[in-house]
This record gives sequence, C-alpha cells and structure tokens, in this order.
Amino acid sequence: MDAVWDGLREALRLIFHGDAELRDIAMRTVVVSGSATLLAMAAGVPAGYALARSRFPGRTVVLSLVNTGMGVPPIVVGLIVWLMLVRSGPFGSLELIYTKRAMVIAQFVIAAPLVMGFTAAAVQALPRELPDMLATLGAGRLRTLWLLAREAQLGVLAAVMAGFGAVISEVGASMVVGGNLANQTRVLTTAISTETSRGETASAIALGLILLAMMFAVNFVLTLAQQRRAR
Amino acid sequence: MDVALRDVHFKRGGRFVLDVPELRFASGRTTALLGPNGSGKSSLLRLVAALDRPGVGAVTIGGERIEAGRPIRERVAVALQQAVFVAGSVRSNLDLGLRLRGVAGHERARRIGEVAGACGIAHLLGRNAALLSGGERQRANLARALCLRAPVTLLDEPLSGLDGPAREQLLDDLPGLLRAFAATTIVVTHDRREALRLGDDVVVLMAGRVRAAGPRAAVFGQPPDAETAAFLGYTLLQGEGGTLAVAPGALTAGPGEVCFGMSVDEVVDLGVGREARGTIGGVRAAVSLPESLAVDAGTLLVSAPASAVRRF
Repeated sequence: MDAVWDGLREALRLIFHGDAELRDIAMRTVVVSGSATLLAMAAGVPAGYALARSRFPGRTVVLSLVNTGMGVPPIVVGLIVWLMLVRSGPFGSLELIYTKRAMVIAQFVIAAPLVMGFTAAAVQALPRELPDMLATLGAGRLRTLWLLAREAQLGVLAAVMAGFGAVISEVGASMVVGGNLANQTRVLTTAISTETSRGETASAIALGLILLAMMFAVNFVLTLAQQRRAR
Repeated sequence: MDVALRDVHFKRGGRFVLDVPELRFASGRTTALLGPNGSGKSSLLRLVAALDRPGVGAVTIGGERIEAGRPIRERVAVALQQAVFVAGSVRSNLDLGLRLRGVAGHERARRIGEVAGACGIAHLLGRNAALLSGGERQRANLARALCLRAPVTLLDEPLSGLDGPAREQLLDDLPGLLRAFAATTIVVTHDRREALRLGDDVVVLMAGRVRAAGPRAAVFGQPPDAETAAFLGYTLLQGEGGTLAVAPGALTAGPGEVCFGMSVDEVVDLGVGREARGTIGGVRAAVSLPESLAVDAGTLLVSAPASAVRRF
C-alpha cells in the first residue's frame, strides 16, 4: 500500500514539476492516438454511413467483417501491421516500422472498424422514412446526407469516443510496430508497461494518472457535445 | 397545376406494382386516391413526389416531366404516412422545408404562424417534435406540408394512426385546411368514408390498375364492375341474369322498386333505433328498421330504389 501512496506522491510531483520526458510521452500519445482517431473518423464515418444506407450483394458479409474488426485484439493488429511494414514485408521499403507513423497506422486499423460499425448502427437506427421526408422537403443529395449525419450525431460521437478510447488505451500494437523506443515511439501505455517491469511503480502510477486524465478530458468534451445534442 | 400519368408501368424488385395507361389529377381540385392495402396508391404518390421513377412512361406536373428532378420536386409538398421529424422543435421542423426551398426569414415565420394556427398546433411550436402524441404528430406533419404552399400537395393516409375523436376532428378540419393552403391535392386513403369526405374527385386503384376515376358522385354512383362496387361498400347479391350491387345504405325494410327476401338472424337494438341483421341469398346484410315494424326471426321483405342498384 505504501508503494501506491509513494507512487501517487511521485506522480503529483512529476506532473506539477513539469517533467520533460513525461510531457514528451504525453504529447506523443496525443499526437499518435489523435491522428489515428481523426483518420478513423474521416474513413469510418462515411463508410459506416454508406454501409448503413446501401444495399448490395455481400453486405451482410461486409457488416460481419466490420463487426469482427471491432473486436480484434490490438496485439493481432500490431502483428499484421508489423508483417506489412517490417523491412522484408510488402511495404518494408517505406521504412515506417518503429516510427510514430507505423503506430498511427496500427491504431487506425484498430479504431476504423469501431467508428464504422457504431456509425452504421447509428444511421440504421434512424427512421426509415427520414431520407424520403428530407428529399420531399427539397433537400438535395448532399444536404440529405448532411442532415442524416446530424440526426445520427449521438451515435457518431459515441463511435468516435469508442475509437479514441480503444487506441489510447492499447499497448500491444504500439509496442510491436513502434518498438517502445525512448524519445521516439514511447507512448503512455508502453511507458507504463516499461516502468512497471523495471519496478518503477511511482512513475508507472504517474503515467497511468495522466493517461486517465487525458481520456477523461477528451471524453468529457465529446460527451458535452453529445448530450447538448440530446436535449 | 395538374398532375398526369401516361403509359406508366412501374415495377419494384421485379414485381409489378402499377400499370396506368392514362390518369389526370385536375388542377385546383382534391382527388382521393382510394384503394385497398397493396393496391399501389402509395407507389403512385411516390412517383408524383419524384421519390421513385417509373420504369416506363411519364409523370408530369403542369405538363413538365418529373424526370427533371429537384426543381419539379419543389413544386410538390408531401406529408408521408409515417410522420417523422428531425431532432428539434416543431417550429424548426416546419421551418426546415421552407429554408430548404429558399423562403425568406420573415415569410417563413409568417407562414408557420398562419398554418400552425389553422392546424391547431400553434401552442406546440416550441415543443420537442419527438414528444408529440399521435394526433399532434399527424397535425404537425400536415402543417409542415401545407406551410410550403406548393402547387401540388400530396397526403399519404393523413389520418393513419388516429382513432376516435382525434380522427373525426382532423377529418372535419382537413377540407377547410386544403381549401386555404393547398391547390391541387392528392389524398391517399383506403377508407371510402374518408374519400367521400375529402375528395372532389375519386380515383379507385386496385391491384395496380385504375378501376374508376372521376367526380366523387360518379365514381361512387356508378362503379364499373362488381369488385369495385364491393370495395366501395355495395352489397353484392345474385339476382336474375347476373350480380346486383346495392349501394351502401340503400336497403330499407318494406316493399320498393327492387325487392329482396332477407333471412333475419337477429334484431339488434342500437339505442337510437333497431337493425335487422341476416342474409340475402347467402350474402350478409343489415337493414334499419322503422319503430312501427315488428320483426322476429324469419324472412323480411327489403327493397332498394332502382337508381341505387347496379347490374353486372
């Protein structure tokens, strides 16, 4: 129990004294996970919308693949991306392995199915007659898409929260494709793993607290937007 | 602005839905599009609303084909059967269509106030549209279409989901609302009483084909065939030389121009009169009884005026 209290004291000291390494790791985490989430939104929201609204042969198979993708363990995603990006792999010449970009790619692969699946579910939950109603009021195709996305906003924001939560908290994929290199690819989760294995409990707790605070801050902002819409 | 269909043949998912060689909805009149469930009424309405395209043939509004797309669609106001709303207040929902059609702000406010007042929903304008009751939803749905003041107004089962006093009240109000805020109007209904109350003209659609079209009195008074007559509420009886169709409410107890023998099963006290129920030639029928007439189970002579009987 003492170790926990020591850890908490050390955490507060590191946080309030502005430890440079800690700040760098936190910033790197924001950049990597934030970029992956934004990319997942850019691809996943339109794709989820299209999947919900379109009818084509094999749609159920695609939906099943997306739903399966929502539950793939990050370590497996890390392994697949590593096989793609490792020097002897098909994209090895791009020299992305053990870089932040590789981590963004892996986290994108984790987040995209979540964003896509939740978006598809949110759009499918809208009344079936809504697109026709909007069209009869005079909305063109693009305007109808925009208005429908606005109607599904609660679900879309939940999709983004799920995507961000998944990537900022994953360890396996970042460890495998990023290599957990100090000052280069170390992020909060991989740093916690490293500090714990070294017996540096205080540092691990400090990193954990920062990670939780960041997750709360981002989700608080998204929840505010979501609930304002729900009123 | 009239609406016309010419040589329209429409299929959905490979299944035949509509076959309409020629049909015209007259400018400035309300036409009740009447038919049983699955007869193609709503499909026809969707063609006019440019929500679907006919595979073959043409739908025109004011002489212009609807294939022209959005500008044509903006000549049409539609209240779909399912009253769905976007998130927000009733006012914002009424405002949405007007904004999408580029109506100026002050004019939007004026129209919303005017139509909401006439539709009896002025007190609901600030309420969340998702929290409306069934009757309020239908009125808001109607008001949203009437606000647009389009040359052509399409109402798909505007009384669906309503029953009892709410239905009767809206049925009472609708003709006046359409006179005030709509021009050429097509009202889809499966209820002949609604068609009688709402339509200047009536089109009877059965199994995707137009069975009768014209002024209300002509359509109800002269059904073209026995099946249409039955749908319009006629009692079909087998008589000498064919089928006799007796207009709804035309049978009375006692002798008259065209007489039948009714086998009475029971006499029902309705509180404000009595009714004999039984069969005529095996077909179920009911006849109102005068106070003075004593009837027991047995045979009752009933009759109808010749003008109310059609032969097929």
